[in-house]
Formats: sequence, structure tokens, C-alpha cells
Amino acid sequence: MKVGIVGIGITSFGVHKEPFYNIAYEAAKKALEDAEMERHEIDNVVLGGYDVAVGRTISNMYTAPAAGGYLKDEIRVSDDAAYALALAYMRIKSGIFDVAMVLGYGHCSETPMELVELLSLDPFFHRDLGISYQMSYAMQSYAYRMRYGIDDETAAEVVVRARKRASKYEYAHVREEVTADEVLSSEMAIFPLRKLELPPWSDGCVALILAEETIAKRISSEPVWVEGLGWHTENYYLGSRDLAELFSTKKAAEKAYKMAGCDAKDVEAAEVMDLTPYHHLMALEALGFAASGRGKEVVESGFPVNSSGGALCTNAHGTTGLFLTASLALQIRDGRDRGIASAVSGYAAQNSIVTILGV
Amino acid sequence: MVLRIEAKWEIPYVHSAGEHATKFFEALKEKKILGVKCPKCKRVLVPPRAFCERCHVDTDEWVEVKDEGVVETVTINYARFTGLPDPPYAVGIVKLDGADTGMLAYLGGVDLSDWKKAHEKLKVGTRVKAVWKDKPEGRITDILYFKPVEE
Amino acid sequence: MKRVAVVGVGQTKFRTRRDDKTHPELTREAVSRALEHAGITMDDVDAFVFGTMDPFDGINCPDRWSSTAAGFGKPFMKISTGGTTGLTTGIAAYQHVASGLFDVVVAVCTQRVGENVDAQPVLNTAVDPIYERYSGVGAISVAAIQATVHMQKYGTTEEQMAWVSVKDHENALKNPYAHIQKRLSVEDVLSSPVVSSPLKLYECCPRSDGSVAVVFASGEKAEEIRDNPAWILAESSISDSYFVGDRPDLAVWDSLTIAGRRLYRLAGIDDPKKDIDVAELYSPFTIQEILELEALGFAEKGEGAGLAEEGVTFVDGDMPTNPSGGVLCTNPIGATGLVRLGEASLQVMGEASNQVDGAEVALAHAWGGTLQFHALMLVSSHKKLRR
Repeated sequence: MKVGIVGIGITSFGVHKEPFYNIAYEAAKKALEDAEMERHEIDNVVLGGYDVAVGRTISNMYTAPAAGGYLKDEIRVSDDAAYALALAYMRIKSGIFDVAMVLGYGHCSETPMELVELLSLDPFFHRDLGISYQMSYAMQSYAYRMRYGIDDETAAEVVVRARKRASKYEYAHVREEVTADEVLSSEMAIFPLRKLELPPWSDGCVALILAEETIAKRISSEPVWVEGLGWHTENYYLGSRDLAELFSTKKAAEKAYKMAGCDAKDVEAAEVMDLTPYHHLMALEALGFAASGRGKEVVESGFPVNSSGGALCTNAHGTTGLFLTASLALQIRDGRDRGIASAVSGYAAQNSIVTILGV
Repeated sequence: MVLRIEAKWEIPYVHSAGEHATKFFEALKEKKILGVKCPKCKRVLVPPRAFCERCHVDTDEWVEVKDEGVVETVTINYARFTGLPDPPYAVGIVKLDGADTGMLAYLGGVDLSDWKKAHEKLKVGTRVKAVWKDKPEGRITDILYFKPVEE
Repeated sequence: MKRVAVVGVGQTKFRTRRDDKTHPELTREAVSRALEHAGITMDDVDAFVFGTMDPFDGINCPDRWSSTAAGFGKPFMKISTGGTTGLTTGIAAYQHVASGLFDVVVAVCTQRVGENVDAQPVLNTAVDPIYERYSGVGAISVAAIQATVHMQKYGTTEEQMAWVSVKDHENALKNPYAHIQKRLSVEDVLSSPVVSSPLKLYECCPRSDGSVAVVFASGEKAEEIRDNPAWILAESSISDSYFVGDRPDLAVWDSLTIAGRRLYRLAGIDDPKKDIDVAELYSPFTIQEILELEALGFAEKGEGAGLAEEGVTFVDGDMPTNPSGGVLCTNPIGATGLVRLGEASLQVMGEASNQVDGAEVALAHAWGGTLQFHALMLVSSHKKLRR
């Protein structure tokens, strides 16, 4: 039995004036309209997002009804909502449910996200050192850069391409194009990352409706099938890891390819959660598109990576990964046969989840 | 002997109420309570929200409800908790005249020192009316409390 | 549908504080015991599902640190749904196995409420900051408003509610992992100070530190692992609307009745009173056990209050409820639901510390939010309901 995406609802991303539960409702409504379905046809909701980031303990109290979950089965992953898609897949694949509303929410504009993330560190060994979330990604960037001799221009080129794609993608947050010179001359923010090499903090929601194969074929003439899933967690202690590789993504991708019965050469598009330009390259390597240190060759080849603009242009903490997955699903609808999406969470990409979609 | 580290979280948030709730708070400044009517199930929802959770449709028909209604339930808190008001204080759910849902609110105007006696005056079904701040600021606390009305 | 069973349960001793261990060390204690109970090793585990309620522990997403004891180097997923977290973590782990993607999955929940000097500020942030946060509603008040209505509508008495506490405290004396172990009389409960009227101190749960782990295995594996697995018959969960003022009648927990009906339908239960031998319910406040027994069909509306006083819910009664001592004696909030499942499983394995004679079918329940969520699981010593 296969599980397919039959409805896609993406809100605009940026700084919103409405509370996140109203935005969540908008995403769910869009997905239902897209699928030409009614709320009562959904038999469960699977949510993904963080509490402290949105300033509400048990934030699913708001998003469950917003997603259409009134008097329905409900569950939430407290991580990137790409995990919610994986859980929804399992709930359907097991035969327990037929149709799931997967909803991811991120709302970064109401609070300092760096402080929220700092509080995820243990209060003994790490928190007092003031290592911010982005600093952990900067440390990875530096380790990668030094091991493989990646230069400033390569990183700047990733940003230029990301912005160019985002400028053509209606849902992206930061859509102004930039030149390599502008990137290279922007101020040093967190060494080695310059200001224009950092992702924004965005508000926005994504809703996907997943259905069991027989129902999916009834509902949709163009279901996008979930072909592969893999997720993996690495050591929390940064000192115990090789920061120059995205090891969690690599392991997650191995599992996803195995489940889908394919490998990187069978994939026509990728969406990677590039919280830095270096992570763009590292992710491509971890997904098997290039050997370690040679991710830039994939960029230069013109292979379609991050048609959405990626996390460098849209980053609603809690649903960035699902935003990329949904963007990939739109590309599959538009004619690509198979694509892969990867998401990361935790300090220095401690956790990764990889999703393979196809026709 | 183990090391214990004290910590305190202070995370600033600026919460956006959104357009719907803002309208409700603006009305409070004039000592008016607004609800919205769901176009499908026709329930008047108080406090108002942008969508009906049951019907999953937008709500935009505004209805003014009375600042008077019926107690659906009540409790009086006698314990001290960080971040909550000084005890004793009563909270409950009041269904306002014209509304189909109850609203969480403070209840007062009654001696709370003996809970059993207080519950005799604040029963399920007791009619209550809002006591407003002299100068409402557009916050939920503009309604100081609901107090029993003499029948 | 694939058969899945619980094959191992591990708990830490629950206390107000566990100063001797860090978050991951506490997690490790529970996981090690669960693996030992199942007679398997970490190498046999395919994936972990972790549950906790952010941010009671003073660490946002403590799963990231705690995963060093439970799952790094493996697929790991974090669940958080409020008070139901423990049970929804179990439900997610069950679904991991039922999907066929994994054979052996460990659900683990760790919560350190004791490190939070006063948990109330955290609970306050669960209340909508726009409309409801400034109405002074604490966790206890939410249960107290249920009690007020139940007493007035059905004539439920303070003595009847006190009996629930007496029963749970009696049971906890037999459970080595229980937090509060103290015999109470009805008079003790009635003379304890009123916290949130009509609820008194001894009608309210403590805040506990601790961890619990439950091992799930696919049918074939389960039979290899042990002779007495606890087979999962069904699960169910539900979300009500967000606003507590929307509940049509606080004297009945109708959303639990709906979730219960779904569960019974899936498991083939006609009469819960006859078909279910023991229940582990999420009742941090006395009144809630009464409401839950009524909502789940163990008593008629308004008649649940007398069950403890009449001895029905005691361990040797007709409907033993919370033989572990329940949530009233141990409440590590986000882990509590998984303790319910662990205890229910041990009952049908015949290995519970306060064993109900001949228990074959056991119910685990949790609620969360401001009376918004419920989760339920049903386990049995048999693969299918046998009646």
C-alpha cells in the first residue's frame, strides 16, 4: 500500500500580524481546497512545531483545531514538521488511519529565536558558554570549509542562486536578488558566515493532506507518493562529532533510498535545508549527489536544487523542513518524476530527516 | 553532594492578537463585549475567533452580547502560585446573554473567606453582571469580575 | 493490521527531585530497566520515540540532550502533546511498529517537574495570551470547575471524592516506584486545606521527577521475546476545541466518551464493565477519576462518585482503577501517560506490583490541555479480545 500527498496548502512566509493559529487555519483550509475536500473527510491530524518558539506551552492546543482536528485524532511532533509527515505516513501505512492532515507551524517574529534555542542547551556544560544555534552551524561551516578548501566565492554563489530562485517563488520570505559582491561585502555576522549568508527567521504554516493509496487515487488525479523516508539522530555533544560532515543526513538518506529502492542518480530534484551556504553543499554530499567536499560541482551543474530558494530564504523554525518538502511536492506535480528533501534540527544538525517523493 | 545550578528564564515575547481579537479589545474600551456568529452552525462564539473550530469556516458576522449572563461553573483559589493573582480569588465560566459559548472570567462581589458560603452565592446558574474598570484599556482584565445580580 | 505488543517496561523511582542524576542519566535508568525486562539490548532496538512536555524541565527540547541515552545513532522522534504526551508517545511508538518500518521500538518519557521551582508559570503559558491567560486559571482550577458542576448537578459529596484519594494512596503503598507513599483516611483528606474549591490538598497530585520506558515489538518478535506480551488491541485520541468555555457541559467529559467509543469499536468491546478488567486513568485530581469512569462507560452519569466508597474501584473490587496508586500519587506530567500504559501492560502480563487477579484486558488513559485532549490504549494478554 502506498501513501500519497493529495492536498498542499502553503501560506505566505514572512512577518505575519495574525497569530499562528489563524495562519495554521489558513494553511489547512488551502490544503483542503487544493484537495477539494471537507474537514470531515480527514480522520486525523498530525502536527509539527515547537512550543517555546511560539511562546505557548502545548502549542497544539491551538493548532489541532486550526488544522481541522476538532473531535478528531490528534498528535504532534515537537520538531520540524517534516517529522510529522513521517509519522502521518506510519499512521496510514499501518492501516490505522486513512487520511491525515499534516500541519507545520513556525512563528519566529514574536520572540528572540537565538535565546529560545540557547535554552535547549543543558544548563551545565553548554548553556553558560553562550553558543547560539547559528554559531553551531557556523562551526560546522568552518570545519567543512577548512577540510575541503571551500572559498568565499563558492559560498556567495550559493546565496546568489538561492535568492534568484526565491525571487520566482511566491511563498518564499526573502525574495530580493543579490550579487556575489553584495554577499562578499556584507558584514561578518558569525564567523565565517556573513550577514547575507544567514537565513531569515520567518512566520508561516504548511499543510499537507496524506491519504492511503486507494483513497488518494479517488481524491486526486495527481497524487504525489511518499516513496522513501529516513531519519537519524547524532550525538548531542558537539565535541563527539565530526562537524565537517552532515552525518545525520547521510544516515537518514541511506534509509530513505533503501526504502524507495533507488539512489541519488534516480532523483531529479532536491530541496535541502541549507541554514548556511556551506550546509547547502554538505547536504548535497550527504544525499549522495557528490563526494565529500565536491558539492559545489552539483551547484555548477545546474541540477535543480532548492527551487524554493531553500532555508536561506525561508526559515520558519518548526516547519522549514516541511516547507521544503511541500515545495518539492509542487515540483513533482509540475512534471518531475522523483525528488528528495532533507531537513535538520538541533544544534549543528544533530537530527536529520529525508523524504523521497515521486509520481 | 551534587552541584545545583539556579536558572531563570526570561524570554520576551510580543504576541500579536490578530485582526479579529483586536476588534474585540477595541470594543472593550467602550465597555462592549463582541462575539462572532458562525455562518454555518450559527453559534455566537465568545470570545470571538477568526474561524469556527467545529465548522472550519471563516467567521465575520459580529454580534454584540450582553455584559450579563449565567455562571456555568466556578472555583475559588486559596493557594499561592507564582504568576497567578494573590489568593483568594474566584474564576469561572460565564455564558453571556446572546452567546453560545462560555467565557473564562473572574467572579467577585462575594466574601470568599469561607468557600462553602461563597459557593452558595456563586452557584451554577447564578446570574452575574460585569463590573468594569473605570477606564478600560482594551485588555481582558477591563472586566474586573462578574458579580451576582439581585433577582 | 500488524500485531504489536508491549514486551518490556522500566520505570525510575519517582521523587520530588532526582538530584543524583542528569536528564539523560534518568532516561538511561528507565531505558535500561525496560530493556532488561524485555531481555534485549540496545542493539536490538530499531528506533526511539521520546516524549516530554516542553519546557517543564527548564530545558527547551530536552530530548536533544536526553537522546544521548536513548537513541542517538538511530531514528529518534520527539512527541509532545500536553498531559497526553506519555500516552501519545506510546501511540507513536506503536504506530512505528504497526507500519512495518520497524520491529522493535522503545518509547521513553522523562520529566523533571521538580527542577521547576513552581510549574504554574509554565502551565500559564499554555493559556492563550490574548484572551485567557490573565484570567488566573491554574491547572487545579481546571479540575475544580469540573468538580463544582458535578457536585451541584449530581450531588457528588466531598466524602465520595475523598474516597478516591484514600484508595489511590492505599494502592501506592504497594508500588515501589510511586512518589507519595502515605496511608490516608477520609478525615485526613477532608481536613487538608482547600486549594481550589472544592478540591483539597490531598485530592491533588504531587509534581514528580522521573522517567519511564516501554518496549514495543512486532508480533513475531514479541513472541520470541517473552511468553506473556501485552498485546495492543487498539488506540484512540481526540482533540476538543481550544476554548474551555466551549465545552457544552463540564459535568460530563463527552470528548472522552467519543474517544472511548472509537477505542471500543476497534477492539470489539461491547460492555466495558465486563470486558475490561482494570483501568489506569489519568486522574491528577479526585473528581477526574469519577468523570472518567462515567465517560468511559464504567458507571452511569452521576453515579461514578460512589464507586470508591463502595469498594468497586479498589484492587479487589469489580472495576479496579489505578492499582498503581495513579496520578494522584505520582505525576511526572509528560511521562505520566506512559506510566499508565506501562502499568496496564504489567497488569495483563501478570507482573504488576499491585496485581489485579486474572487481569486480561487493561485500559490506559491520559488527558491534556485545558480539558482538550484525551488518549487511550487498550492492552490484553491475548492477541484478540476473548470473551
